[in-house]
This record gives sequence, C-alpha cells and structure tokens, in this order.
Amino acid sequence: MEAAFEHFRLWLAAFLTLGIFSFLYKDNPWYKLSEAIFVGISAGYWFVVLFWDNFFGKFWVGAGDYTMQWLASVFTGGESPSAEGVDLMLWIGAILGFLMLLRLIPKIGWLSRWPLAFIVGATAGLWLINYIASNVMVQVQATMVPLFSTVFGAGFDAGSGVIIGGLVIFLGTFSGLVYFFFSKAHTGAFGTTARVGVFFLMITFGASFGYTVMSRMSLLIGRIDYLLGDWLGMIK
Amino acid sequence: MTTKAKELIAVAAILIFSLIFYLGKTFGWEPTEFSTAVSLLVVILLLASLLWILVLTLQGKLIGRRVVFLYVGIAVAMPLFMKLSQEMPVSPAVQGVYDAVTELEPGSKVLIACDYDPPTAPELQPMAETFIRICFQRDLKIIIMGIWPQGPQQANLALEKILAEPDIAAKNLQYGIDYVNLGFQAGNEFVIQRMGGSFKSMFRTDYGGIPYDELPLVRNVKNFSNIDYCFNLSSGFPGTVEWVQIAVDRYDVELGAGNTAVQAPTVYPYLSSGQLTGLLGGMSGAAEFERAADARVKGTKYMLSQSVSHIVVIAFVLIGNVAFIMSGRKSALKG
Amino acid sequence: MKFQIFVTLLALSLSVSAQDTPADTNLIDTASDTSLVIVAPVTSLIAIDHNYDKGEIIDLRWVPSIDDQLLDGKVLGYNVYRIVNNGEPDLIAELPPSTTSFQDQDCHLDSVYSYYVAALSESFEANSNRTAPISTEREWLNFDRKWLFLIALIVGGSVILFITAARRGTKLFVRKIAGLEAVDDAVGRATEMGRPILFIPGIRDMDDVQTLAGLTILGRISRVIADYDTRIFMPTSRSLVMTAGRETIKAAYTAAGRPDKYSDDMVTYYTDEQFGYVAAVDGVMVREKPATVFLLGAFFAESLILAETGNYIGAIQIAGTARPAQLPFFIAACDFTLIGEELFAASAYLSGEPMQLGSLKGQDVGKAIAMVVIVAGVIAATIGEAWDVPFMHDVVGWLSGVFSTR
Repeated sequence: MEAAFEHFRLWLAAFLTLGIFSFLYKDNPWYKLSEAIFVGISAGYWFVVLFWDNFFGKFWVGAGDYTMQWLASVFTGGESPSAEGVDLMLWIGAILGFLMLLRLIPKIGWLSRWPLAFIVGATAGLWLINYIASNVMVQVQATMVPLFSTVFGAGFDAGSGVIIGGLVIFLGTFSGLVYFFFSKAHTGAFGTTARVGVFFLMITFGASFGYTVMSRMSLLIGRIDYLLGDWLGMIK
Repeated sequence: MTTKAKELIAVAAILIFSLIFYLGKTFGWEPTEFSTAVSLLVVILLLASLLWILVLTLQGKLIGRRVVFLYVGIAVAMPLFMKLSQEMPVSPAVQGVYDAVTELEPGSKVLIACDYDPPTAPELQPMAETFIRICFQRDLKIIIMGIWPQGPQQANLALEKILAEPDIAAKNLQYGIDYVNLGFQAGNEFVIQRMGGSFKSMFRTDYGGIPYDELPLVRNVKNFSNIDYCFNLSSGFPGTVEWVQIAVDRYDVELGAGNTAVQAPTVYPYLSSGQLTGLLGGMSGAAEFERAADARVKGTKYMLSQSVSHIVVIAFVLIGNVAFIMSGRKSALKG
Repeated sequence: MKFQIFVTLLALSLSVSAQDTPADTNLIDTASDTSLVIVAPVTSLIAIDHNYDKGEIIDLRWVPSIDDQLLDGKVLGYNVYRIVNNGEPDLIAELPPSTTSFQDQDCHLDSVYSYYVAALSESFEANSNRTAPISTEREWLNFDRKWLFLIALIVGGSVILFITAARRGTKLFVRKIAGLEAVDDAVGRATEMGRPILFIPGIRDMDDVQTLAGLTILGRISRVIADYDTRIFMPTSRSLVMTAGRETIKAAYTAAGRPDKYSDDMVTYYTDEQFGYVAAVDGVMVREKPATVFLLGAFFAESLILAETGNYIGAIQIAGTARPAQLPFFIAACDFTLIGEELFAASAYLSGEPMQLGSLKGQDVGKAIAMVVIVAGVIAATIGEAWDVPFMHDVVGWLSGVFSTR
C-alpha cells in the first residue's frame, strides 16, 4: 500500500510540474487544471496553517480554553482552572480579529477599520525604528569611508581598487539620495547628479537581474532534477 | 494533420517515454552518466547551434520564444548527466559564514532560522544541509525555528539526511540535547522581536509538542544573549532583512545568512556594513559553501547546470539585441 | 604541590578575613587530603544592576582564580550561585574556565539578590565572597540610543510639521514624476480597445506601506476608469487587500457619480500562496487579455513572471515597487516604472493628501541630513587618512559614534 502511494505521489508531482511547464507552449486545459489545483490547495493550506497556528495554537491554547473553563467553573461552582501559561492579553487580539468579521454586517462594518488601524500603526511603529537604525544610521556610518586609504608621503600605496571602491560607494549613495529627493526639481547640477544616480541605479538593477536569472535557473534545475532523478531515475 | 492532433501525439509521446523510463527505474536500470568526451561534445553542439541561430538572426530570420525555452531546458537538463567538475573560488562573503561557525567552541549554541519553503529549496536546502553538517561535525548544539510555516519542515528533511551520514550517525546525537526543532511561529518579524525578550514566550513547545522546559538544550536559553551564533536561511519576507534589523541591531546577535539569489542584492549592504558576518547568495553561494566545508554535494552538482544555462542566457541576450538593432534599422529604412 | 596548597590557603584566608559575609568554603578536611586539587577562589566579585533594562538583569563581574591559566590550568569551570531574599543558594549557571562575567537575566523587581561564584577543580570547589545584596531597577529610557531617538525625533517631527503645514493650505512642492502622465493614456487606450484593465496590488498585506501607496493610486485610476466607463479587474492575494480594494474602487465610482456601475466582482481574492496567486493571475491575463496592466505594490519573485506575461499579451504596463530586487524586471518588461520611493511620491502627488505630502517632505529632511553627514564624513575621513590629521579622525570617530546603533 505504501509503495503504491509512493508511485502515485511521484506521478502526481510530475504530472502537475509538467502541467505548469506546458504554459510555456501555450495556455491549455492541462495548465488550467494544474493551476486550479495549485490555487485551491494553497488557499486551503494557508487556511489550515492560520487556523491551527494563530487561532488554535496561540489564542485557544493561550487564553480561549482557559476562559471557557473559568466560565464553566463560575457557573457550575467547580474549581477554577490553573492560570499557568495563560496570557489574557490575547483576548485583545481576538476581539480585534472578531471586529474584522463585522465587515459582513454593513451597518456596523465601520468597526472593522479599528483592527486595520491597529495593524498599520503597530507595524509602522516597529518599522520606523528598525529602518532608521539599520537602513539609515548604520548605512550612513558605513559610507563614511576615506577615499584614500594610506598617508600621503609616507608611502601612498592604496590600490586603485580601494580608491575606486570608496568612490563608487560614496558617489553611488550620494547621487542615489539626490535622485530620490523630491523637494527640488531635477535641473542644473542637481539634475546632473540625479542622472548619475539613475546611472548607478541601472547598474545595480543589472547586477540584480543577473542574480535573479541565477535564482530562476535554480528553481528550474530543482524541478528538472526531480523529473529526471526522483521520478524517472535517469540521473543520480 | 491538425495542430490538435500533433499536440495529442506529443503528449502521448511524453507519456510513453516517461512510462518506459519509470518502469526501467523500478526494474533497476542504472542512471545515465555522460563520459567527459560525450559531455564536451554536447556542450560544443549546444554552442554551435547557438552560433547558427545568431547567423540566422543576422540574416533576418527570427526564432520564436519556444525555441528559447527549449534551449534553456536543454542547458539545464544536460549537465545533470555530466561528470565534468567545475572549480570555483570561495568568496569572502561565504568564507565569513564558514569562519564564524568553525571558530565557535564545541558545545556552543547555534540558532538556525529557516524562513523558506519548498519552491526555493533548490537554492537553500543545500545550504541548510551543509550548515547542519558543519555544526554536527564540530559538536555545536543546534536550535531550529522558523517564521515561515514550511521552514522547520524543510529543516527536518535536512536533519534527517545529515543524521543518516555515517560520520554523524556515529556521534549518536540525541534530540533535545544536541539539537532541537522549535517549529514555526506565526507573527512575522514580531516573533523575532519577542524572542529578544524570551524564546519561551514564542515557543511554548517544540515542533513535536514537547514543552520548552522539558528540552535540556533550550531549558536555560532565555533569549538571544544565550545564543552564540545565528544563521538565517531566507527567501523573502520576513527574512534576513528583519533578522538584521531586529536581532542584530537591537539584540547584538552574530548573524550569518543564506539567501536566494533574488534577495541577495538587497542584503549585501548589510554585509559591507558589518551587520552580517557572512552571506551565501543563491546556488553559487551554496556551492562555494560546500567547497569551503570540503563537502561537494547538491549545490556543486547543480552549479554546472547553472553555468551552462547562463551561457545560453547570455547568448540569447546577445541574439536578442542583434535582432533589436536589426529591426530598428529596418524600421528606420522604412520610416 | 605543598607550596601551591600553602599559597591557596593563604589566599583563601586573606579573602575570608576581608569580607563582610564569610564565604561558604569547602575546606573541611581538605587541607589534610593531598589527593585533592585545591584552587583559589575568584576575587573582586561585584554585582551591578544592568543599565537601561526592564529591571530583570544583574551583571556579575570578577577576577578569575589565579589557578585559572591557559596552560596547565587547574580550574575546570565556575559555578554561579544566587541567594534570593536571604534564602538558600541556588546554582544558576555552570561556566567554562576563563569566564570573567555573567548576566543573570531572571531577576524580578521586588526581590533582593546576592551572589557568589565557586571555582571548580577536579575535586574541590572554592567559593568567593558573597556580593552585597542588590535589587534591580527599571529604566524607562535607554540613553544608549539617544542619537537614534534624536534622529527619529527630527525626521518624525519634520513629518508632523509638514503635514500640519499642508493642512493649513501651504503649497508643498513635489517634483514631477515621470510616468504619471502615462496613467490617463493607458486607461484611455483600454477604453479605445474595449478591453479591461488589470490592477495587481502586490502580494503583501495592508500593513505594508507599498500596498497602501498602490491602493491610493488605484483610487485615482478608478476615478478615470469610472469616467471612461472601462472595466477594471483586481486579483488579490490577501483578504484585507481585497476589502480595501473594493472600498477604494467603490468610493471612486461614487465620486464619479456612477455608483451603479460598481460591482464587488471587480476585486477577487485567490490565495495567499505566492506562486499559486501568480499562476491564477497569469491565467487571467492570457484569457482576458487586458489592454493595460498596473503592477503597483510590494512584489517579490513573482514580479518577472507577471511582467513577462503582461508583455507577452501586449498590454501597456505601468509598474512600481519599493523592492529593489524586483525593479530590474519591471524596468525591463514594463513601459513605465516608478522606482522605489517614487511609488510613494506618486501616491502623494496624485492624491494631494496632506498626510502623504507631509510624510514625503519629512523624509526629504532625513535624506538631506544623510547627504550632509555622508559628504562631511567622507571629507573628514579622507583628509584624516591622507594627511593624518588627528582632529579629522576625531570628527569621523564622533560621527561614527552618533550613527552607530550598537
């Protein structure tokens, strides 16, 4: 039985992989079927993950279950449950989550904006500090490099690579900042510097493009390795 | 014959071909491996045909996009049959991760944050395997976690594979004492933030449901200050950027990272500023890491396919530009 | 050996006589037992409340045992003991040799703590003096990060200042952003061709500012679409984005005086799974053949696949994202691309909202500070390095200190 299931698993994965690849030829029923299965399963998967990890794993285990037991003990006069590991703050999240569902009732749908405001506000607060610290302050600090690396006269032996490297870091960062400065029109010397910034951006994008080609090829290699190796056993 | 009939015949041919090889595999057929001479011949034929396409383009005969797809497919598949080996130097970024982990004292605690899923496994799984192997070889203690649901599952696959290797199996490593998988925790970057205060507040149990306090390895691990090194495998958000911003810049964690090639350029600035001790970028990073660790396996094997497919892509970029310039000249003549 | 024992005992007796609280030493019957490896205890043990924490950390520091040496060291490690509220000592940490500090992170505000450290040999445990009782304090501000606070305050303050100015009607200048004029043309083209417009808001949720910027631009596009009576379709990968998208388009149609033309079917949710979403959107593109595709928001690996498919079906494509890694593909495959922060600038420019305009201008203040510091830092570093000017070294050192977050 297990062996039969293994055969089925291998064939199903190969069938779906080839189905998605078939889009390269043209849109076709095989692709549509694979696409529909992919979309359906992934939506279901995410629902299950979110339910078990967020609702059950966090809220129910951390607060919901305890609250139910506590309520039961209050009404039946039984013993109060142990509060060990209980975090009643989770109720705030649960209530905000519930408010989200009120969108289904048009009359009080406006309440669903509160959790949205909470999410946006909390994330903005966390990110503001993270970005200023990691992406601004540390990066500015790292850009303050000398354009010459040794003392004049006492043997100026900085390699051209060091000087060019320092210049690229400085000019690239500075002109990039100028390009993304929106309070001044791109004219005159400011405009020229901004154009240098675009030049640097395009070189960066080119390098990034190369990296992505490598990444995409890796995904393809992974699937072809599966088809030729795991499925058909043609390669080691 | 109609197009539909031709398409059906093609699908049937693929099915028959697959069935033959699949049955062959079940009956014990050996995998195919090209000799060096055949491998070189294949590469030469590929290059010659690309040259021919360039000539055709110069003559004004353009090829369709399906031909490009076919070439890329061949360029990726054929090297998987080849025995050719490829030498590559280890870059300082990769050496940084290797040095950081090998300089740790035996018994040091290493946190591996697996923030990726199966689609990016071809790039990141070889990194995970090599990193885990190095840790076990050097008697480091591993704590695995993930803020991507499938990350800890991928880590388990890597663990399973490495623990089965004879030299590692001989160490008789124990779950809970030598390595632990704390599993997935929902909450994105907020999980990292909370871990700065207390690991236990985020991971009440491990992957299999064992309570945090019953795991000897992590019982005394309160937060990042009890971790000697952290390695993040990331393929997007939340990932290395968030680990740098929170774990490194707020909690002074020593962090190394393995990233997909798509994400690597975004992360490089953190390397030059010293926020990362090292970075493995994409499959080449994985292969270099394997070379540094002297364990050439999946990443190294895949790199040949990478190299050949890159040659094909470069060739088509050239051919495409030739076609573009030619069409520009034509429209100029017409205009 | 005997000499070592003598020195050790001498050291112990000195340390015992110098302390307020006698150490619990395990000397009983050990002096006469020569098979024991006797070691000296650690000295100068101090416990200090950790600075700038929530009151849960105490730092311990000590001078290691004189027998803790790299070569031929007799000390095998150190045990740290803690006494809470004058109770019984508890072993809280086992540390390797050469350790000179420890952080007790399990303290509470309402307790009093005292510590001692035992140096361990193979068969002997030499306890140090106990520290004076100490309790922890909670600090509300972390002055180690005062510069971060100051810079955040300047940037944040500028944002608030500019928002207030914009609300009062002050005209705030934002430079022209190339590509924005193309929006109206692109919608017009779809109308002429009688084909729909596809709006893809990226794959992140409403907590991403890129998604918000994309939706702001969607508001403006929807208004034009409502005026032209063209069809729009917006597939989403997050349920919240779907609802926000519906509200945005509905508001635009209402503002254009055509609420009857709006339908919830214009916005659909597919799946949270990245490539599942891509497969579905690709399918929509190939089947519906939209004349114009907008890709505005946070994009990841799917950017090239979507942009390439849009290019393949011959649609006019206008893209924008702040993900640097994805911009190359949009630039290569789309007709117009809003690069990085231009997405937010475009959103502010089109909406004219004081909140967005003020934020943009406030960020410009941050950028101006960064530019000035970079230029000053590079000049100072270069002069300092090239002509060895100590003052310039000091300037660079100070600037590095200000901008360091560690």
